[in-house]
Amino acid sequence: MIGFLIQRVLQALLVIVAMSIIVFLGVYAIGNPIDVMIDPASDQALREALIRRYGLDLPLFQQYFVFVNNMLHGDLGESFIYRLPVLSLIFSRFPATLELALCAMLIATCLGIPLGLWAGYKPDALSSKAIMAFSVLGFSVPTFWVGLLLIMTFAVELGWLPSGGRGPTTNVLGMNLSITSLEGLSYIVLPALNLALFKLGLLIRLTRAGTVEVMSSDYVRFARAQGLSEGKVVGLHVLKNISIPIVTVFGLELGSTLAFAVVTETVFNWPGMGKLIIDSITVLDRPVMVAYLILVVFLFVLINLVVDLVYGQLDPRIRVKASS
Amino acid sequence: MKLNSKLGGMVAAALLAGTMLGGAASAQTLTMGLRAGPDSIDPHWSTLGSQAEALRHIFDTIVMADENLQLKPGLATSWKPVDDTTWEFKIREGVKFHDGSELTAEDVKFSIDRIPVVTGPMSMTIYTKQVKETKVVDKYTLHVITKAPAPTLPNDFIRLFVVPKSIGMEARNEQFNSGKAAIGTGPYKFVSWEPKGDLVLERFDGYWGQKPHWQKVIRKEIPNDPARMAALKSGQVDLVNYVPATDYAAMQKDKSVDTFIADTVYFFNITPNVKETLPKPVKVDGKEIAENPLRDARVREALDLAIDRKTLVRVVLEGLGKPANQLMPASFFGGNKNLPERPYNVAKAKELLAAAGYPKGFEIDFFCTNNRLPGDAAVCEALSQMWARAGLKVNANALNGTVFFPAQQKGEFPLWMSGWGTLTGEASYTYGSLVHTADPKTGLGAFNKQGYSNPEVDALLQEGARTMDDAKRRALFEKVTEISMNDRALIPTVQLQTVWAAKKGTMVIPPRVDQETLAYEIKPKS
Repeated sequence: MIGFLIQRVLQALLVIVAMSIIVFLGVYAIGNPIDVMIDPASDQALREALIRRYGLDLPLFQQYFVFVNNMLHGDLGESFIYRLPVLSLIFSRFPATLELALCAMLIATCLGIPLGLWAGYKPDALSSKAIMAFSVLGFSVPTFWVGLLLIMTFAVELGWLPSGGRGPTTNVLGMNLSITSLEGLSYIVLPALNLALFKLGLLIRLTRAGTVEVMSSDYVRFARAQGLSEGKVVGLHVLKNISIPIVTVFGLELGSTLAFAVVTETVFNWPGMGKLIIDSITVLDRPVMVAYLILVVFLFVLINLVVDLVYGQLDPRIRVKASS
Repeated sequence: MKLNSKLGGMVAAALLAGTMLGGAASAQTLTMGLRAGPDSIDPHWSTLGSQAEALRHIFDTIVMADENLQLKPGLATSWKPVDDTTWEFKIREGVKFHDGSELTAEDVKFSIDRIPVVTGPMSMTIYTKQVKETKVVDKYTLHVITKAPAPTLPNDFIRLFVVPKSIGMEARNEQFNSGKAAIGTGPYKFVSWEPKGDLVLERFDGYWGQKPHWQKVIRKEIPNDPARMAALKSGQVDLVNYVPATDYAAMQKDKSVDTFIADTVYFFNITPNVKETLPKPVKVDGKEIAENPLRDARVREALDLAIDRKTLVRVVLEGLGKPANQLMPASFFGGNKNLPERPYNVAKAKELLAAAGYPKGFEIDFFCTNNRLPGDAAVCEALSQMWARAGLKVNANALNGTVFFPAQQKGEFPLWMSGWGTLTGEASYTYGSLVHTADPKTGLGAFNKQGYSNPEVDALLQEGARTMDDAKRRALFEKVTEISMNDRALIPTVQLQTVWAAKKGTMVIPPRVDQETLAYEIKPKS
């Protein structure tokens, strides 16, 4: 198990190094952030002074080494715009994105798995066909469009829910959360629903495919022959046996939701990390872009690690392989 | 099933809370949905327009600007040059800071001296670069000594916010953002702010000027256009700025909203690169040629004549603009009221191209932004089609601003269009940067990337920069406008207009050319 962990950490470091180089080269190729930020009233001397202040006059490799050196000391740099440490900037946005992503995953899981089980259990029923049609819609309709549609219906026409923003928050364990109050919840419903839609479609299809396959297997027939109730057969045996692909997809989706909720956060004006990265890209705030992408890599590596550990719990054969 | 009913109850309650919130806003609270906001509460942090717009509620400037960007008294009641390099400012008496202390010339001096100390992303030193030192003469008189004659100093000071000396030189970003150092003399007091979130303000009862109507102001930042419009329609905000052209068309038929329209200082200008060689040569009959056709005045005139400005405004911008014949409104200081409207004449454009040696036209790349100002990419594409009628093959490339500006700075474009706003309300800002020969020694021509150089224009601009007499300086700048526009150093196309929208019959939003949305100028509809 420890060997497995060390291997994983080394892989992660390698990916992070590669990523930092790619991002650095990419941002460098776009050009000088000063030219995006600069005020038209400034003259050449001021431009030169700014370029020097940010160390942008140094050759690329030198800039990169300054950055790496700082990173090794736990310092990912300061935002060009806010002059705040990038890490604290990103983490100040993290709770908003985390609760949005978790709410979306919750909606997707609580609806997607039961619906998928039903659609796989009764593949020919009309209701199952309706579920499948809905799932296709779920991941083929663009997120921003569904978001606007939700806003038009529930905020503008019906006036039931707020159209965007984050509402009041309460401090829980040092994080500002909105899910703790009803008013806060009213702000999260629409964006979470919007973000959940794609995952919902995905989970329905995945669960259905697994269920259809497993339903015709020997152990389901034996379980039925044993006289187990249908509920137990489906809820225990079927669900457990189809859960490995679901856990994989769940992990990856959680990661990508946390990292790339950009579209939903933009449409609903949700002050999370996705909006921060978009705002930073539009002004070429290089330290924020680089640090964010490195954190995303780290996040994915971490999630994949957790997914692998959960596999071990679900399927004893994997545990045996890992220990041998 | 139990879980379901619980969930249902929660959703219903949440819905209820949402509706109640919409109706709870009292008449004394103004909630604004705006496209951009400040990056810090420190008023000396950045020169961005959105920064000044937000902080103007909390802090006052020495010199203020009216809705047409013409100067008016602010914390200084008057100003006059005492000699060629000294300006005397008389500071308003009886002005109170939000902490109750009184404003004196010491505070103004402190504010000017503080600017080079602040380490924001876009230093405000551009507004104080002419200042050599400041001297407090008495409690209400301040002398500003400049390095050289500085006739535009009062224009520079319209962005110069005053903070109390008592906060000390050590006050940083964090102290301002937390509200500790956010003490001004403005009509509103700071309550709270989070980056890219809401700025909450409360009316300051000791304000020296006219008392604003709204007791509480919430400034919400909603950069996404559809999200901002939805916030207005759902009643989450009372007003929005930067209504997109397409929504404007629909809103005129909508009975639930009022729209307010204003001219802006933003102009779309086409810039022809007139250097010896172009970064990418033009093609004639598919073959690259060595010379740069844009150096020929006839070719530039042909480009100009082929632009149908009225159609650009009516069709491409949905009516939200005006044809332009110079780089800023003619009413601004140094604008030229005698310049004629620019004609549209394709036949003459073709003749001129033929006379210049391009009877079959040529092929050239044309660049512009697609996210900087409303309609930029659409105008760009329309222009390339208009030029096609005159026989040119123009490849329009609309780029994101983050890609466009660095490439423009490196001189990678043969022909481009960008937006420019004359934010100080006078000509030296625009013509000095765009038209004067690029000269790092004088700091002029910093944005002249097209290589335009006319000694006559340079001499006039330099003379204007040291002429203290307003009438003489105005005449010099008018001449600069005339010459450079006839030379087609840049080709102006349209002046943009901007739109605000508010709930029907609730308020009056006074139009401003700098597009600022100022809560204390907004009044309820009586």
